[in-house]
Amino acid sequence: MHLPKFTYLNPTSMEEAVAFLKEHPNAGLMAGGTDILPRMKNRLDVPEVLVGLQGIPWEVPSVRPDGSLAINPLMTLDAVNRAPLIRERAPVLSDAALMVASSEIRNMGTLGGNLCQQTRCLYYNQRHSFQFMEPCYKRDGDRCYFIPKGRKCWAVFMSDTAPGLISLSTEIRVVGLEKMRTIPLEELYTGDAKKPFALDPDEMVSEIIVPEAPGSRGEAFFKFSLRGGVEFAALNVAAVLDMKEDRKTCAQARITVGALSSSPRRALKGEAALVEQELSRDLFFEVADIVAKEITPIPHHGFSAAYLTECLRVGTMRVLESATERIRRKK
Amino acid sequence: METKKQKLLLELSINDESYELAVGPQETLVEVLRNHLGLTGAKEGCDTGECGSCTVLIDGKPVLSCLTLALNCQNKKIVTIEGLGKEGAMTIVQNAFLEKGAVQCGFCTPGMVLATTALLEEMPAPSDRETKKALEGHLCRCTGYNKILEAVGLAVARSSGGSAGT
Repeated sequence: MHLPKFTYLNPTSMEEAVAFLKEHPNAGLMAGGTDILPRMKNRLDVPEVLVGLQGIPWEVPSVRPDGSLAINPLMTLDAVNRAPLIRERAPVLSDAALMVASSEIRNMGTLGGNLCQQTRCLYYNQRHSFQFMEPCYKRDGDRCYFIPKGRKCWAVFMSDTAPGLISLSTEIRVVGLEKMRTIPLEELYTGDAKKPFALDPDEMVSEIIVPEAPGSRGEAFFKFSLRGGVEFAALNVAAVLDMKEDRKTCAQARITVGALSSSPRRALKGEAALVEQELSRDLFFEVADIVAKEITPIPHHGFSAAYLTECLRVGTMRVLESATERIRRKK
Repeated sequence: METKKQKLLLELSINDESYELAVGPQETLVEVLRNHLGLTGAKEGCDTGECGSCTVLIDGKPVLSCLTLALNCQNKKIVTIEGLGKEGAMTIVQNAFLEKGAVQCGFCTPGMVLATTALLEEMPAPSDRETKKALEGHLCRCTGYNKILEAVGLAVARSSGGSAGT
């Protein structure tokens, strides 16, 4: 499969990159290329101009004066997994980065690219030259092959790093030409599978900011996929538990579930059930039930909704247990 | 758009040799290696980043050449399977693959050998789990993977914690 022809622009700074994006509103943006190039090969995206970010230098993560951790989105997933500062201050991100695809992809793909990857669907992510030729909603058509009665696009957002970062209350800095804003990562996702990101055509994510943990914290990530490696998640769950001083009572909990809908979703009822409670296995069973009831999965990639709900229950249980284990080990 | 005819003059360092050639921006590294330079070791399998058969080492790290634009490879050190060992003098990893019969149809082999070489450079004695994690991006439809894992084990034993690489 050959790539379609395009003009390649090679900015050397983020400012230059957004200037190019302003000039070419339909341009494709490529960091590692592991998401957009397969899409271009399948002719799902045929941008006339491709803005490549590989010529922009990036620095290793640093701790800012207010104690938060600043991560450059152009860092490769492999580098994110290895960075000692991330392992120490945001182990859930370090773990999640290691679970993405294969070592080759982690050497290429970036954290920003992983957060801004397109939504996927069995019917959409393929060449449309011989089957499913009539365009679906995602291709600006009028049908959904996946859920024929659904009158919108049901593609699923499958980032492995987003749930962990959302659970860490991460903020992202978004740059555009002559503008800059900082928003919670959660607000980057619109929930609309067709246009999953709340970004203008000339905007890109320029910094990822993870706030400092208020006190004792346990965090964990769980990904379920059929083959293990080189597979998008059937579902993933990330939990962050902030503890009170006795290290047994939960002060604040954040649970985020990914790959079950068109954007990552917080399990707010499950979180509420943990607050002010002493952590125990019985409580986790209860919370896992609440989360499994609270979030209705889109049955995707051959998994039924009932199966995914059961996986979600197990996944929630596991993240809560491993997060507690992390608190116990951190003396 | 007239700019679609854009061609760039590139200087690529492949297996310690320097090549100068003109490529279009849409040409991937695997296309350049195979179609322009006759280096057919890297295979074009799925071409969408799922199978690992196009793996090459760029600056010592395994990456997929089907998802790498050739024009992003300037000033980088590329090693393909042709750059490992010489005729009659294969590397420890290559010998281990040969002896254990970890090569059947051979399509995944260049990627497997390069990924193993990179793994042993970084981690002289990987556990079984670490080996599987490093090779998980490589699909093999012949060997059932057991012989490949045995070959990696043999290479580890032979290099006895030393460098197993080039």
